[in-house]
Amino acid sequence: MKKTIFALLAIISLCSLSVFAQSYAITNAKIVTVSGAPIDKGTIIIRDGLIQNVGAGISIPADSQVIDASGLTVYPGFFDAASSVGIAAPQAQAGRAPGQGGGFQQQQAQPTQPQSNSNFPTGMQPEVYAADLIKANDGSVETARNGGFTTVLSIPRERIFNGQSALINTAGDSVSEMLLRSPVALHISFVPLGASYPTSMMGTFSALRQIFLDAQRLQAWTNAYKKDPRGMKRPDSDKSLEALFPVLNREVPAAFNANTEIEIIRVLDFAKEFNLVPLIVGGQEAWKVTDRLKTSKAAVLLSLNFPKRTSSNAPDADPEPLETLRFRVEVPKCAARLKQAGVPFAFQSGGASASDFLSNAAKAVENGLSKDDALRSMTLNSAEIFNVADRLGSIEKGKIANLVVVRGDIFDRAKAITHVFVDGKMFEQKPPAPTGGRPQRPGGGGETPTTASSASVLNGAWNVTIEVPGQPLTGTINFTQQGDRLTGNVVTPLGTSDIKNGKANADGSFTFDQTVTFGGSTFDVTYSGKVSGNQVSGTVSTPQGAVPFSGTKKP
Amino acid sequence: MNRSTTMKKGFLVTIIFCLFVFTVSVFGQTQDVLIKNATILTAANGTLLNTDILIQNGKIAKIGKNLTASSNAKVIDATGKFISPGIIDCHSHSMMDGSINEGSFSVTSMTRTRDIINSTDITLYRALAGGVTGLNLLHGSANAIGGQNTVVKAKYGKPIEELPIPDAPPGIKFALGENPKRSHFTPQPGQSRRYPASRMGVNEVIRDAFVRARDYKAEWDEYKAKVAKGDKTAVPPRKDLELEPIVEILEGKRYVHSHGYRAEEYLALLQLAEEFGFRVRTLQHGLEAYKIAPEIAKHGAGVSIFADYWGYKIEAWDAIPYNAAILWKNGVVVSINSDDDERMRRLNLDAAKIMKYGDVPEEEALKMVTLNPAKQLGIDKRTGSIEVGKDADIVIWTAHPFSVYSRVETTMIEGEVYFDRSTDAAKRQAMEKERQELEKADVNRAPGTGGGPPRVPSEKRKSDHDDAEKGGN
Repeated sequence: MKKTIFALLAIISLCSLSVFAQSYAITNAKIVTVSGAPIDKGTIIIRDGLIQNVGAGISIPADSQVIDASGLTVYPGFFDAASSVGIAAPQAQAGRAPGQGGGFQQQQAQPTQPQSNSNFPTGMQPEVYAADLIKANDGSVETARNGGFTTVLSIPRERIFNGQSALINTAGDSVSEMLLRSPVALHISFVPLGASYPTSMMGTFSALRQIFLDAQRLQAWTNAYKKDPRGMKRPDSDKSLEALFPVLNREVPAAFNANTEIEIIRVLDFAKEFNLVPLIVGGQEAWKVTDRLKTSKAAVLLSLNFPKRTSSNAPDADPEPLETLRFRVEVPKCAARLKQAGVPFAFQSGGASASDFLSNAAKAVENGLSKDDALRSMTLNSAEIFNVADRLGSIEKGKIANLVVVRGDIFDRAKAITHVFVDGKMFEQKPPAPTGGRPQRPGGGGETPTTASSASVLNGAWNVTIEVPGQPLTGTINFTQQGDRLTGNVVTPLGTSDIKNGKANADGSFTFDQTVTFGGSTFDVTYSGKVSGNQVSGTVSTPQGAVPFSGTKKP
Repeated sequence: MNRSTTMKKGFLVTIIFCLFVFTVSVFGQTQDVLIKNATILTAANGTLLNTDILIQNGKIAKIGKNLTASSNAKVIDATGKFISPGIIDCHSHSMMDGSINEGSFSVTSMTRTRDIINSTDITLYRALAGGVTGLNLLHGSANAIGGQNTVVKAKYGKPIEELPIPDAPPGIKFALGENPKRSHFTPQPGQSRRYPASRMGVNEVIRDAFVRARDYKAEWDEYKAKVAKGDKTAVPPRKDLELEPIVEILEGKRYVHSHGYRAEEYLALLQLAEEFGFRVRTLQHGLEAYKIAPEIAKHGAGVSIFADYWGYKIEAWDAIPYNAAILWKNGVVVSINSDDDERMRRLNLDAAKIMKYGDVPEEEALKMVTLNPAKQLGIDKRTGSIEVGKDADIVIWTAHPFSVYSRVETTMIEGEVYFDRSTDAAKRQAMEKERQELEKADVNRAPGTGGGPPRVPSEKRKSDHDDAEKGGN
């Protein structure tokens, strides 16, 4: 009897082994370990999701599936150090179009989050956690993985307090399986709330200052009450303020979206005011403030979404400002300068595609960063900044088996990712379909994400600023492109209205009409613009004249 | 303490002292400057002909004839040129990023213009080219009580923390009339129409804020008294960033700069201030101030106005160009401000207009863009006139600054040159060359075909129109 049970158990465990403990042996590979010297021709044994062994002349276990990687290079899995992978973009409100009844007062701005019992408005709630919002089956997870990103920092998308980020591996049936660390940082942007205080950047600083002061007070009060509650008024239980305690206690860094010199200075000053641990997200002008960054011990999550001119000027238009021209030229030099100054940094996509990420990392190399440092900036540096360097970021025995197998050099134009391993799970990529054929279906497992389908470059949500003189309007254009047909809507503080007569062209340019109600009258305006990469710009023709608009794609 | 440690300490102190002296001599000291043989409009002690100014450590060290300087001093021959104090603009919204209005609430005293100033804003350089060395950076006028101001020197391109004048008393913006009552008149989605929507409502909002501030202070006083008595269970009140600056007004520590137009509204504000025991520092715009000049003088407020700009809205209708002259004759400290990036660089000519309308003497007119705004901002001990011991904030003009043919040759702040016409010409050439290089870069090249429509050039801010619909300046 006992024997039978034992045998049964043995069979079960064997079965589970074959299912869960899949082992791979990548052989004859060039292995770029990052932490040590590269191995010209070596083997990596993967088992139980971990790197069981790595080196030259290693014997291959009998149960390992062998992947002959002759001519291929294995890198540690790449990090995208700032993204919103797995978190759906907020759905634009269907709302009624202006003119269909209902004045402004009735068109309440809809919060993107379900109403909570916070004392603070949506966008000012630090208790929003990426770990609660990520969906394991969100398409962006697969897109990231196909691009070679095995680990991403995922940041919620709210306005001022974006929320607290989570570090995840980009494969898994459930979020709990994917999570590496949460929360990683509290992310803060200077995107004012639309309809209520703060509605300006100036007010955003004041609102942040007040909420941090309130949290300081509540924490001191709560601690005093815990010690001895007798005779003391009971402190409020405020989940928003309580979510700031770890940030005030320097256990969770405050990650500020700051790209230019003055933005970085402002946020470092703010972090100093409350003795926060600052992280800079963006940082494309960080090279101008390396001394301050070092004094503040701030790391930079450097955006590889490089700026590029996207439109041509009319002959009679003013030339572009010199500072804009300088900025575009200097941005690719930033990484090398940060390295030289000794400021820790890691690459992040800034909403750019995986192929832009890699080609812009290569541009950083052309502009003085060593290839080794560039690779480190998307692997081990990121792991160090996120405190997971003991398990990720390099190809070492015992670390998590996050690997990218590439035909060619990762920084060359002619390269192809053949396999991605996440937590030891293999994702094989078929070679890219021959170019010049019919448009490919986006999101198909077989293609590399480098070939973004040109048929749908407009698809998605675009944050835009419409430069109404004296009162710039910020809003979102949501495009749905099907061939040359363009639908969707425009969301601004004036309301939401559908795109009419939308037309998209193959080169990324588009036109559409929109009905606007303003100051009691209703009129049509015409948008014409062009998308290039993640940038969009153009003009809005109104009965009062034309105004420019520009913006970027929501990551 | 035994002898050897005393000695060691003495040694250490000596070393530190030497290091200190060394640091100061190398980094802290600016080059001496000797300006020779100029016509100096002192804005304090009349006009001095063929006179020299010696600048040491950023201060005016000597004023006189035939001054000498050390051999390494920079000598400027100003024969035939005019020198005035740097112009101070008592009402500016320049060099700020983002909106100058936090329009959501009727009281936004928690906001600070300091948080959004940017020393690389090109308007600051243009202001220097017009002889401006000091600015009062104010919150907009969308709120009955707006944000806290920042008084800066126009140190274009310097690290941002070097611009605010450290000993300038803090101030705050108030606003009366159309702007605060009409902001959010047509609310956007998700907003309700904001209270107040009438002039009496604006007055009530201000009164209410002072009542709340008084209660707030009482709450803190009560807490402090409890703690002093050894009460361990006392919970400190919430530090309220909205009410703290209003408490400072009540304590006389923060200046009120109030936007407004109509005489009766201003009178109501002065009465309210007297009721609460503080003094309004400046009435900004004050187009109808001439109607209540004696009352303003009695209260002790200054007035900061446009020279001859009106009629841009109903409440800006009943204006006269003799406003400054009438106020001045009544003993009111008057300044002429710009409220605009463009007008800011021609304030010398606005001061000249004051001579024309009402026979204000030349020096008094000049004071209205130099010493008087310095007085209104509480910085006249250090700047605003050419006197020994003051900061060397100095403008060298090619002719009398009240002449339309006059141009700024050099603008100095604390002895350092921030604008110089000849250097400027060289800089322009260098920048043009740099532009040509930069435009060759791939990232700066316009897309070849099918480029999007052109981006129409637009000024960043149109602050020329104090328009309530847009929040107002």
